[in-house]
Amino acid sequence: MESLSHAFKERSVHALKDETLQVALHRAKDGFAVKRAKAVEGLPEFDALRDRAVAIKNHTLENLDHYLERYADAVERSGGKVHWASSAEDARRIVVEICRAAGAKMITKGKSMVGEEVGVNGALEGAGFEVVETDLGEYIIQLAHEPPSHIIVPAVHKTRGQIADLFHENHQKYGLTRKLSEVPEMVNEARQVLRSKYLDADVGITGANFLIAESGTSVIVTNEGNGDLTCSLPRVHIVTAGIEKVVPTAEDATTLLRLLARSATGQDLTTYTTFSTGPKRADDTDGPEEYHVVLVDSGRSTMLADQFREMLRCIRCGACMNHCPVYGAIGGHAYGWVYPGPMGSVLTPLSVGLKEAGNLPNACTLNGHCAEVCPVRIPLPDLLRTLRHREYQLKLGLKPLRWGLAAWVWFTSHPRIYRLGTRVQARMLATLAGRKGRFTRMPLAGGWFKGGRDLPAPQGETFMAVWARRQKERGQ
Amino acid sequence: MSGRETVLAAIRQGLGRGPLGDAARRALDERQGATDSAPLLPKLPKGPLQQVFRAGLEKVSGTMSEVTKLDEVPGAVAGYLSGHGLAPEAAVAPSLESLDWSGAGIQASFGPTRGGDYAGVSLAWRGVAENGSLVLLSGPENPTSLNFLPDHHIVVLHGKDLVPHLEPVWVALRERGEQGWPRTVNVITGPSRTADIELTIQLGAHGPRSLHVLLVD
Repeated sequence: MESLSHAFKERSVHALKDETLQVALHRAKDGFAVKRAKAVEGLPEFDALRDRAVAIKNHTLENLDHYLERYADAVERSGGKVHWASSAEDARRIVVEICRAAGAKMITKGKSMVGEEVGVNGALEGAGFEVVETDLGEYIIQLAHEPPSHIIVPAVHKTRGQIADLFHENHQKYGLTRKLSEVPEMVNEARQVLRSKYLDADVGITGANFLIAESGTSVIVTNEGNGDLTCSLPRVHIVTAGIEKVVPTAEDATTLLRLLARSATGQDLTTYTTFSTGPKRADDTDGPEEYHVVLVDSGRSTMLADQFREMLRCIRCGACMNHCPVYGAIGGHAYGWVYPGPMGSVLTPLSVGLKEAGNLPNACTLNGHCAEVCPVRIPLPDLLRTLRHREYQLKLGLKPLRWGLAAWVWFTSHPRIYRLGTRVQARMLATLAGRKGRFTRMPLAGGWFKGGRDLPAPQGETFMAVWARRQKERGQ
Repeated sequence: MSGRETVLAAIRQGLGRGPLGDAARRALDERQGATDSAPLLPKLPKGPLQQVFRAGLEKVSGTMSEVTKLDEVPGAVAGYLSGHGLAPEAAVAPSLESLDWSGAGIQASFGPTRGGDYAGVSLAWRGVAENGSLVLLSGPENPTSLNFLPDHHIVVLHGKDLVPHLEPVWVALRERGEQGWPRTVNVITGPSRTADIELTIQLGAHGPRSLHVLLVD
């Protein structure tokens, strides 16, 4: 997918002014946080399981080459085929080739973030295939020609009115005549239309939440059942997965599963957890005849080399964005690439470059809430801070910001001048503010006061001065 | 260099080391999972497994009724269908073909479905008490399509096949030996659902609208 992250500021401003989006975001934010908290409360072992999950992921990443080889060998033994893609371009080419060789016309897709990342849909459509997303949220945004705005609920930014309009526009060819208004009838409408797509599809493409090395198994979780209809009805099943998805055993995957649904949607377990191993067996009466796995590196191996290895523990639950005040205010589209929120602000600059996405790590209050809820304890604020350092070292940030920081560093490393400066400034601002004790306007900072906000003025003394005075008083 | 070698070389470069030796790789294969320890199993609520299973199933909008013998299954299915105002027809897994379906007044077809059936009847391999989940293995005896295409999914579960957690399922699967893993292991926890429109939960997104367990014990 092409990045629009360079336009983060403009897109954020636009998002803040979009009233429909604000309604949708407000609904989502409270819903997710409350549900997660309740689910976590119901499992006293949650924190111990998080420690386990960190250990599982760390061990696997340390030995990633071994477990991937073991996984790939097991897939081949079960009759499947493994394809290795170094880049997004490789992945697109491989998927298109498999579909061509299968003589496919129509392709159904289960939700796959790595699919979004490498741009599978665009490549397939460019090669003349009809591609249908089957996850309801993904289907809605496909009709709207938009990227997902959340990694778990891709259409969370849409209201039911907007969805009704989309169905009205696009489903007349399937016989829909009136505009729908209730959620159940919209779900049913999509169910009916997509039913025929599942049955007609030649190829089904899904992602993978986990890959199990011991058995060569890919695991997907869905609530709708769309992933299962996608991977079991067509003649060919293609799995696209990042190389970091592998774990050694089914027990390791089970530990992670206990964390995934609780962190993502507040469920104890997702409705359908499906373990696929190879194509249909000789005596099977249903299932795909071909089973392909496309393992995607696309920058992940580079992340192994430094502190960003921690980011490869990510199981894509979305808890970090559900608890992020910045995501909650602007939604996913403002971030401009596939992955939004805190995890996206780490991944996007690593993927598309700091020059393109340097704003993302800076759009963070470092409140640490994301790290608190992360099921695999990724220190997201630390990683974001590291990216800010990198940006500064590469001289990529805004010039006034660099000058300001340089001046700040000079002042703080000269304590006497710093104290004198702040004393004068505090007194000056207190005098200027007068009896009101607050500013209602200020040159060069007009934006701050929009929406009727005031800036409290200093009271005349610096903290250091008050401290010194109190110490002295206490000493007497 | 093949795609495989290119990716593996990039990974090793990232890890800052060369390929692992045979001894190191053998040691990794002998570990009991990534942490080389017994899995951490959540403590289940007190009470018999059946009770814990039922609570988990009902939490996710599944339903359950009990019969004492496998022979009673067709009658129970007939009762379910008439109770839901459905015609006495069902797509049934061949693993249950030997039961007397016509005797219970049910017109049964045996084998996979292409979506024309309102009710599907399958046999679970295990039931998991922890979350009220059903484990179904694909195969000629249990076609996967029965689990997903019918509006009503009725699953037969033997009481002896109830286990506390998912972990014993993996142990049992390894003990199948030669057969190994089937094409698909479906762990099903409740009927199909979605919250993709305004986070409103709606049952019956793409899979079954209702899930009913017939416990044989």
